[in-house]
Amino acid sequence: MSTGASGPSGPVLEIADVHVYYGAIHALKGISLEVGSGEIVTLIGANGAGKSTTLRAINGLNRPRQGSIRFQGQEITGTPPHAIVKGGISQSPEGRRLFPRMSVTENLEMGAFQRDDKQNFAEDMERVFELFPRLKERRMQKAGTMSGGEQQMCAIGRALMARPKLLLLDEPSMGLAPIFVERIFETIVEVNRQGTPVLLVEQNALMALDVANRGYVMETGRIALEGPAAELKVNERVRATYLGEG
Amino acid sequence: MTTAAATLQRIRSSSLIDAIGLLILAAFVVWLIYKFGENPTRFLNVGIIGATNGAIYGLVALGYTLVYGILQLINFAHGDVFALSGLVASTLIISVWGLEADTNVILVVLGLLATLAITVPLFATINATIERVAYKPLRRAPRLAALITAVGMSFIVQNVSLALYGVDFESVPNFIPRTSAIEIGDVAIQWNKVAIFLIVIPVLLVLTWFVRTTRQGKGMRAVAQDTEAAAMMGIDVNRTISVTFVLAGSLAAVAGLVYLLQFNIRYDTGFELGLIAFTAAVLGGIGNLTGAVLGAMMIGMVQAFNEGLDGTPGSDWTRSIVFGILIAVLVFRPQGILGERTPEGA
Repeated sequence: MSTGASGPSGPVLEIADVHVYYGAIHALKGISLEVGSGEIVTLIGANGAGKSTTLRAINGLNRPRQGSIRFQGQEITGTPPHAIVKGGISQSPEGRRLFPRMSVTENLEMGAFQRDDKQNFAEDMERVFELFPRLKERRMQKAGTMSGGEQQMCAIGRALMARPKLLLLDEPSMGLAPIFVERIFETIVEVNRQGTPVLLVEQNALMALDVANRGYVMETGRIALEGPAAELKVNERVRATYLGEG
Repeated sequence: MTTAAATLQRIRSSSLIDAIGLLILAAFVVWLIYKFGENPTRFLNVGIIGATNGAIYGLVALGYTLVYGILQLINFAHGDVFALSGLVASTLIISVWGLEADTNVILVVLGLLATLAITVPLFATINATIERVAYKPLRRAPRLAALITAVGMSFIVQNVSLALYGVDFESVPNFIPRTSAIEIGDVAIQWNKVAIFLIVIPVLLVLTWFVRTTRQGKGMRAVAQDTEAAAMMGIDVNRTISVTFVLAGSLAAVAGLVYLLQFNIRYDTGFELGLIAFTAAVLGGIGNLTGAVLGAMMIGMVQAFNEGLDGTPGSDWTRSIVFGILIAVLVFRPQGILGERTPEGA
């Protein structure tokens, strides 16, 4: 893989002026953001602001009409989703989207679908089970029959099985009991500490800003605010709108 | 208050429907047991005919259910692809290999294998091409558009068969003897029926192995359960759909040969057989592979019992009975015998 203009130490992901349309609806109106190596970057904002659409532009499900998405210095705009996964971006989608009639093990296997190095497969499965011991107990269970929290663990584990160079997480805390939310966020920090950059989409802005290095606030298809997570947390506008104060 | 009453009403009416369904089923089982007691030999001989027909329906039904599972599309052209494959097999067997009624067994086996070696790849390719040309451009269109296109493809394939083979029935000589291979008392299984199972059972085993254990097979199941999530996991969805049509086309080719060994075939054979096979797939729970075979076996049996036992309406009524069963299943158990109730209600 050739290093692009940004060089090897540049950002892992660089999105510049991306526009996405759903039919006639202009869903993303020129999004620009970056994820650096080793970072947790969070994308927060209200429902319908375009957070998930941004992820869908990155993973290839929605092709941007305009703008550029670069991953490790290479242009990936317009690349089909399966090739993007092979390139090193994996995702835990909103609403978990497990394969309900497959076992936990089979779901994890699907996460590694694009990998050719089958010898490390068992090792990675062990690593996921270390992060989520609960999944080990349930590995033969059909994914659709597990609780929401267990399913979320499985969805994150499945994304990790791809050995991603960038992990996209879409609303990992949605619909979970507080105790599970805390576990999930602890795991995100742990995964990042082991070297994987994370782009985290969240409605739970407070938790997200707690674990992130930097954050972007989206409003109706645009980036309204950006900055270090610590600064966003004390920003009045963010506090008033997303942290339920004011 | 109103919602509680409505819920109660729904529970009552659904349990009433379940009760009626079970009652009909129980009456049918009692009737079968009575018929068995009346004349066990005849019952079993008729049952063997039913199982043979069911095996053939099952091969075709699997093609419908595989494609439906992945695309939620009823591929109406499938039955016609099956019929055309049977016609091509008849040409190979008669004009190319020249198999006769008195041909040596080894040559017959080689001839049948050589036929499959040609028709399976040929119809796998044709079926995948149909998907590529007719269905893929409509992937994002409303589902009705693809459905109507499938009906159109059915007519096109049927007319290709008509143009190539005319309106006459094609058949092959009885090179597989009708003599008994297995005989227990007066219950006999003829060689030509044994031959069908010798072909169908390995095919089903290979298919099950493929879908359950191979990477591509697991990818197929993932796409069937959640296409978008499968794409996010790095599964090439277009490729997986092509593989599904390749599998369905291969099954149609095997079914075409097996049908030809048992019956006469012509350009429109695929229409009615396709409907029966589709009914079987719905009966078993569309999208469920085991269900398709189970449903096909049941329809084969019902047909054989209706036509072979005394005191039944007889062969004129077979179609009415088969489609009556379809309606009953849709009323009493919309998800089919082995189907699961899914949130989408499919």
